Amino acid sequence: MNNFAKSFADTDLRSLLKQQHKTVYSICRLFARTYKDHQRLFMNVISAAAQNIRFRKGDVNKQTMLWRACINMAALHSITSTMEQAPTREIKFKSPDYQHSMEVLDDAMGNAGDYDKFLLFIDLENIDSNDLFGSVNRPTAQPASAAHVIPYLKEKLIWS
Amino acid sequence: MELDKLQQQWNSFPEVSMEERPVLSSDLEEMVVTNPLSDAFYLQRKLVFRIIVFTLLWLTGGWLLRAQWLGDRKDIYLYVAFFLLLSYTLFFHIRLILFADYSTLLGLPLVPFLGKVEIILDKYIASFKLVSAVIAFTLLVCFEQWMTRANPALFDSFLHRDWSKWLLLAFLIISFDILLMHTVIPRYRKLVETVRKYRHGIVTAKARSEIWTIK
Repeated sequence: MNNFAKSFADTDLRSLLKQQHKTVYSICRLFARTYKDHQRLFMNVISAAAQNIRFRKGDVNKQTMLWRACINMAALHSITSTMEQAPTREIKFKSPDYQHSMEVLDDAMGNAGDYDKFLLFIDLENIDSNDLFGSVNRPTAQPASAAHVIPYLKEKLIWS
Repeated sequence: MELDKLQQQWNSFPEVSMEERPVLSSDLEEMVVTNPLSDAFYLQRKLVFRIIVFTLLWLTGGWLLRAQWLGDRKDIYLYVAFFLLLSYTLFFHIRLILFADYSTLLGLPLVPFLGKVEIILDKYIASFKLVSAVIAFTLLVCFEQWMTRANPALFDSFLHRDWSKWLLLAFLIISFDILLMHTVIPRYRKLVETVRKYRHGIVTAKARSEIWTIK
């Protein structure tokens, strides 16, 4: 790819991320409880989405890649929070309006699990949920162009 | 949960105030090039470092094996074993890094993504067995090389008592394995357990939700 084409692709990516930043804020609402958490999750989702879009394979569209980034990073955030075992999980935001809305949302959600939160996110943001969760089986190697090159070697190299 | 009420509240959710806004558009430039995975999940740098070290050891091991082959071949079995171990360790790490494919990992759907993270962590934990064996072999080879130069007579008597060398090797491997098992491995084990539990929770909830949808 020449420099012009590369910079055009990057500009396209940035404008998509700018357009979609509200969706990213939405997932942060469901999984972050403090400003610091919110900031960290937002940054991670944006960089994950950028990476997914840049390295996407097959016919998966950019929008799906952004949603997958939201869900996967929220899951990792949740796993990390579980491991940190913070003694207090209270909601803390500087803005009183935001703090109040977060508390109301938290009350409304009650003890909903992460999968329910994902479904809520999909429902409230009107997202097409196909291809976001995958099947319940173990992952298989992605169909890449390399699969046709050396099938035997690929089979030996990839764990299923 | 009252969905209508929640939807209403969701739509009227305030914007994050300017003082708390996590990102400004100028920050986006930096964000799109940073690595989203934390150190616990991102093992690429560690794997690359290991591959470099093992490659250097593999070259040295190959050179020592060649010297043995061309020389008196008194200690050839040790060097053949060391070379084979290094070859397999190198293969294992290269295979793991190819499998992990960090650039596309986060683009997978949630359940396969969590499954793949679990496999990567599992294999990384297993790789510590190989690391302890490589450390033990390296120490023994270094010790022998030093003894050949410092005290050849002592080295000759050491070679004659073949069992003591293999016993020392087994002792070193087990010691390093126990050391790693109690220092580095527990945090990865805890992480893989948490990921497994989380994936199981998601899969169960998904299956339950699908049953409800069918009903």
